Amino acid sequence: MGFVVVPTVQIYTFILFLLIHSTSGLDGYDEYRRNVSMELNPGLKKPSTGAGLVHVRAVGSDDTLHFLLCSHEAPALMLVHTNSSSSAVHIDWEAFLNGNYSGSLKVVPESSVQFSSALVFTRLWEYDDVNDTADPEHLTPSSFFPPYELQDFSWDDLNTTINLTNHSVTLCGRNSSTSFRNGSLCLAFSAFGSKGRGAVWPGLLHNANSSQLRIWLDNVSPRSNQSRFALELQSVSSAAQRGHVDVLKSIDDEYTPSIFKVSQWVSSPSNASSAVLGYTQWKPVAYRTAQPKFEDATPCRHSNPVLVSQLPPSGWVQAFFRDGQQTSALNITFSIAGDPFYNVTNYLSWSILVGLGPPPLDSFSPLVLTIMAVGLGTPLALILFGGAGACIFKKGQHPQGYEPIN
Amino acid sequence: MAGRGEDENLITEGDSLSGQDNGSAGARSMPAICDPSHWSHRIVVLSFMCFLGFGSYFCYDNPAALQTQVIQDMKLNTSGFMQLYAWYSWPNVVLCFLGGFLLDRVFGIRLGTIIFATFVLVGQIIFAGGALAGRFWLMEVGRFVFGIGGESLAVAQNTYAVNWFKGKELNLVFGLQLSMARLGSTVNMNIMGWVYDSIKDLVGSAGPTTLGIALMIGASTCLLSLTSALVLGYLDRRAERILNKEEGKTGEVIKLTDVKDFPLQLWLIFIICVCYYVAIFPFIGLGQVFFIEKFDFSPAEARAINSVVYIISAPASPVLGFIVDRTGKNVLWVAFAIVGTLAAHMMLAFTFWTPWIAMCLMGGTYSLLACALWPMVSFVVPEHQLGTAYGFMQSIQNLGLALIAMAAGSILDNRGYLFLEVFFCACICMALIAAVMLYFVDLLRGGDLNLSAAARARLLKSVSTDSE
Repeated sequence: MGFVVVPTVQIYTFILFLLIHSTSGLDGYDEYRRNVSMELNPGLKKPSTGAGLVHVRAVGSDDTLHFLLCSHEAPALMLVHTNSSSSAVHIDWEAFLNGNYSGSLKVVPESSVQFSSALVFTRLWEYDDVNDTADPEHLTPSSFFPPYELQDFSWDDLNTTINLTNHSVTLCGRNSSTSFRNGSLCLAFSAFGSKGRGAVWPGLLHNANSSQLRIWLDNVSPRSNQSRFALELQSVSSAAQRGHVDVLKSIDDEYTPSIFKVSQWVSSPSNASSAVLGYTQWKPVAYRTAQPKFEDATPCRHSNPVLVSQLPPSGWVQAFFRDGQQTSALNITFSIAGDPFYNVTNYLSWSILVGLGPPPLDSFSPLVLTIMAVGLGTPLALILFGGAGACIFKKGQHPQGYEPIN
Repeated sequence: MAGRGEDENLITEGDSLSGQDNGSAGARSMPAICDPSHWSHRIVVLSFMCFLGFGSYFCYDNPAALQTQVIQDMKLNTSGFMQLYAWYSWPNVVLCFLGGFLLDRVFGIRLGTIIFATFVLVGQIIFAGGALAGRFWLMEVGRFVFGIGGESLAVAQNTYAVNWFKGKELNLVFGLQLSMARLGSTVNMNIMGWVYDSIKDLVGSAGPTTLGIALMIGASTCLLSLTSALVLGYLDRRAERILNKEEGKTGEVIKLTDVKDFPLQLWLIFIICVCYYVAIFPFIGLGQVFFIEKFDFSPAEARAINSVVYIISAPASPVLGFIVDRTGKNVLWVAFAIVGTLAAHMMLAFTFWTPWIAMCLMGGTYSLLACALWPMVSFVVPEHQLGTAYGFMQSIQNLGLALIAMAAGSILDNRGYLFLEVFFCACICMALIAAVMLYFVDLLRGGDLNLSAAARARLLKSVSTDSE
């Protein structure tokens, strides 16, 4: 029976290994925990319109991650990593509110700063997709409506939506045009102290080094019946940003049904291009309803990043980064040819993960592994024990060796 | 659906009451092609027999061929879409017992065939009409009516084959009919998308109307089938008049009380049948979009690969059937086929390897399983219970297909393709467990399911000498 036992044991060991791997996670990043705290407008003495800064401090064992969600002008999410567990944000409110942005936001001690980056949402494009191609890069300029400049939007007070226990906040804004009379563009930010997964699709996997943004466009009146939207992002980084977005294949679509890809735009140290300092990660899918179902998914695509000569139009980003810092921009276009236009549901949402270090990778869920283990293990065990049982039974029936002739 | 063509042969071959030799005198004055006793006339009849089933096979997989279009035009989710397959299976949970009875006792083969072909046509028209009217419930009704006709029409087709070809080229005829059926499915998979697109260009936009017109065009194949049924009815009556032969009978005798006498082996065969086929047909129903989403196939490529199982099955079935017949050892062949299909599903689930490998493997093992599994029934039940056993097998198979089609749709909607594939793997694993148990149960009970062909022949010989 030895020949049966060996592979069975091997397979079970392998399955056990997979199970342990998936449930506990072997690489240290996923198990890393941080102490997260959130504050609004740190150090601001008297409330002031146009302040709009949420600060998340995520303290690890010997480092700190600062996330800054900024609603002054174009909305932005900044990430600053320091190698000190006591680093702090220092803001010169008077200078900032007077319009002297440069140098008014610092993370001290400045020598502890290892990496910093910012993601800014600068423009919302709308175009009239008469021929249903969903390919704005190849459309004539006349198909485009004037874009919504997000730096001109007025943003709701963060105080009303901030949730200090969940470390989340929602930022909604609109401009004065009739299109936004009943509609708004919103960003929901969440910070995390440990590994987990978003509750609603696309259910991105996060860890202690990441935070999530969900962007949605609710009830905006489109300017044509065939309107589709695209979003312009700009990114500033203290490290070298890749000139392209990596699109990786992902076997596992359990948490984002029918999506087998994950896109990530990473920053690397300029001397070692394979190491990853920070990333923006998303699944190439947007959803057309607030409580998405399978059929509400619509693909999204990204353009290649291009270099921009000046800092993005966001007050706090200009306050932190110096002029001349490398800035890149790309567009995310929602929907593909044949998919319904915006006016069918008047809703569009898209989620991204912003974080430090290598982006989290999906692995098979324990349930999937258990089903496969039981499914493959049971027939093998049956063959093993059934074979042994049958051998014994047969031996009992026909005793071996020569029987006496008489 | 799965058993159509594969199982019925055995019933009719096994215990048909019909098919007298028709060598008696006819009008020798007529040309050979009109002479019912001449082979050239039988070839004409055969071509009509083949087209008899073409329509129902073509239209059965219409939803799969137009998956994205149906879902988009009718604003469905995947569970709703899979209802179209479930509604096909529901009537056949009962009709598998009744089809033979209706043909033999109530309508007769000719009228029965025409009636069932009419059901198929009317069902497809209601289905298409539902799309035209933009009413999904009407489409479901259409699939239900279509299902009433579809499966029973396959029984009628086989009965005709036995009646005309028994003792001559029967196996070849069955083989041809099966190949024609697979051809119908393949043509449907590869042509309906193109038909839809052409109509979209004509109408100007996609939508329920476009879908309805495309399905109406599909219904023309059912009209072809109905015409074949009418011509066959006429030719059969004419042959009866000229040759004084009897009207064909399925010879199926269903006695539900037989069920309590079914041996354990038969129940295990049932489990294999249900668990295996539910991982094939609902998968094909959902396959097209899967290949587009996961493997970045174009819609045309996706339709092509989705029909690969059928394409392979057409030529492979006769060859594999021959091999299984020659070697025996059916249980091992079945287990081998199940393991192969399991490997194919696991490839689709856990790798990005080109799905052509997995689908070709699935096509081959699917054909092998059909050849090895269905004949086993006749080894474990006495001949007079064969009709009941096959009827029961098909009935629970349809029950399984209806339930799993709905489950598969909602699994996909909520947990995605990986989980769906894992679910199919689990079904196949259950089939494998049943096959392993079947092997041991047969071994312990000293059954002859897994005998080699030579040993089986010896056994048969000793039995026949004993009885002399």
